[in-house]
Amino acid sequence: MRKHKYFLDLNDLQYKQVRLSLEKKLLRVILWFAGTIAVTLFYTSVFHNLFGSPKEALLNQQIDNIRLQYRLADRNMNNSLKLINSLRMSDEMRYRPVLDMDSLPESYRNPGFGGVDRFADLDGYGTSYLMKSARMKIEEMKDMVSIQDKSFSTVKDKAAEWKIEMDHLPAISPVDPSFRLGEGYHFRPVHPVYGDSRMHYGQDIEVPYGTKVYATGDGKIVEAGRNNGGFGNVIMIDHGYGLESIYGHLSKLLVPVGMNVKRGDLIGLSGSTGASTGPHLHYQINKYGQPTPAINFFNNDISQDEFNEMIQAFESKSKFR
Amino acid sequence: MPKSHYRFNPESLSFDKIRLGIWAMLLRGFAYFVGSVIIAAVYYLIFASFVDSPKDKALLREIDQLTLQYDIIHREMDNIDKVIGQLQETDDNLYRTIFEAEPIPQTLREGGTGGINKFKELEGYNNSNIVIETSKRLDNIRKKVYVQSKSFDELISLAKRKGDMLGAIPAIIPISNRDLIHIASGFGLRIHPIYKIIKFHAGMDFTAPTGTDVYVTGNGVVSDVESSKRGLGNHITIDHGFGYQSIYAHLDRINVRKGQKVSRGDVIGFVGSTGLSVAPHLHYEIKVNGVNVDPVNYFFNDLSAAEYEKMIEIASKTGQSFD
Repeated sequence: MRKHKYFLDLNDLQYKQVRLSLEKKLLRVILWFAGTIAVTLFYTSVFHNLFGSPKEALLNQQIDNIRLQYRLADRNMNNSLKLINSLRMSDEMRYRPVLDMDSLPESYRNPGFGGVDRFADLDGYGTSYLMKSARMKIEEMKDMVSIQDKSFSTVKDKAAEWKIEMDHLPAISPVDPSFRLGEGYHFRPVHPVYGDSRMHYGQDIEVPYGTKVYATGDGKIVEAGRNNGGFGNVIMIDHGYGLESIYGHLSKLLVPVGMNVKRGDLIGLSGSTGASTGPHLHYQINKYGQPTPAINFFNNDISQDEFNEMIQAFESKSKFR
Repeated sequence: MPKSHYRFNPESLSFDKIRLGIWAMLLRGFAYFVGSVIIAAVYYLIFASFVDSPKDKALLREIDQLTLQYDIIHREMDNIDKVIGQLQETDDNLYRTIFEAEPIPQTLREGGTGGINKFKELEGYNNSNIVIETSKRLDNIRKKVYVQSKSFDELISLAKRKGDMLGAIPAIIPISNRDLIHIASGFGLRIHPIYKIIKFHAGMDFTAPTGTDVYVTGNGVVSDVESSKRGLGNHITIDHGFGYQSIYAHLDRINVRKGQKVSRGDVIGFVGSTGLSVAPHLHYEIKVNGVNVDPVNYFFNDLSAAEYEKMIEIASKTGQSFD
């Protein structure tokens, strides 16, 4: 039961119950609200002054968490950058020197982002620098990988070309390397058949009649037949890259004109046809149509067994062509 | 004067004045205070959840921006990493194409010597100090042995000779190769680039661009300079004495004359691709009493222990030689 309150009415000296009119009650409620709000404001300002806004602190903490994530992302980016750089090293220090390619100019590698600030919209925050540097790094890496990609694709093309060129180079001995080398590229005062003095353009190899003669590099047979110039039965292979190889005085031709041959393919048997005084192979290399010392194009650093192994390896490869 | 309030006391049937003791007053004041705090807290929470201060707004915007940028960065990084993966594959394929060997694992390739903890017991020391200390100690022992067996005169001449020998024996890498990226092929059985069979490779190949400086690896005399389009191409032979010879082949140009004295580190020529070579590279040989030895054992002046391990690893892995 609610206890009523009374007051002493001094007019008639009677105790009367305290009753409030509706307006007064309303006024009281309003006053109460106003009072509490004022008190709240007071408390809040004191609290903020002492401890700062809890909401702000919460938000700042969130930002700190994100900052940490940015730092982790930055570490990842640095790892990726390291990888990109290792690829670049591989490109510039390994492949380009081997393929005799110039390295990419520095200006191409570092196009620079100077001038226009691409991330001006990120200005004005406490973490502007964080965001901008991360985005810049990303952009830089994007450029780096795309440049590396392009660079690799040129290197790839060049490597394929290089392989093809290496296969086309007349770079082995046309016969078993154990045979003795005869006269090379030199001025011959007396030709054994014609008797006059003239240049000897080829490399003679003293091989008995019927010795197997192999193509010394990939190419196309451009000549296979009797030659009136003294080579007798002759084969000429066009290797491309300005190089031709000529095999003279053969007894037997085993390939037709127009055929594509690979290094190590058997193309004929040696003999003594044409202007020759005895069985031998005349091996000549022309560079851009001009005879050049053939001896520069092969090494006799290979034993008979190794040579046979090599020819067999080429043969077995040919079977699957 | 405030109006006094009264309460009806049903026991005595009289009106008693409401009087509060000091404790009751304090209690009441405290209750008011607590009440006000609670009410204030409720107000604050309601207010804060609906309305943000300008500062909060700025912070919220920053968080939004940070999250957005982070998402972008994350996405871009994923893409970049994917591309890097593809590039690494291309790199490996290029390596296989050009060197005819399995690529060197990433850990080895990334440069730096991190991860190699073989020499943990040496950590915290300066390696060169240890080497110096050890060699000093060895020298001391050697000295003692010698002192016991030889006269001082002999000892002095021997010591001199020893010094000469240390200067003469090949001990550095013949080209600048700080990151060890230039090793293409080691000594021993390797795939011949033209013959495509496994052949003995008498030296070590370093791929480098045409024109790269070639250093002589020990003091000596130029015993042979040959300009040739065959075999080793333009090459230099250095006689170091004590039975040691070194050969530098396929040079583009040669910087020295026959009979010239050279000291370790002199530039004697420049990398090229002369002779029977499929790419610009330096072919480096060391002969001891006329017999080819593995040059990898003669780089001790240049390399730390870890680098040395790495060099051996790379040299043993390569598949194809370049001449």
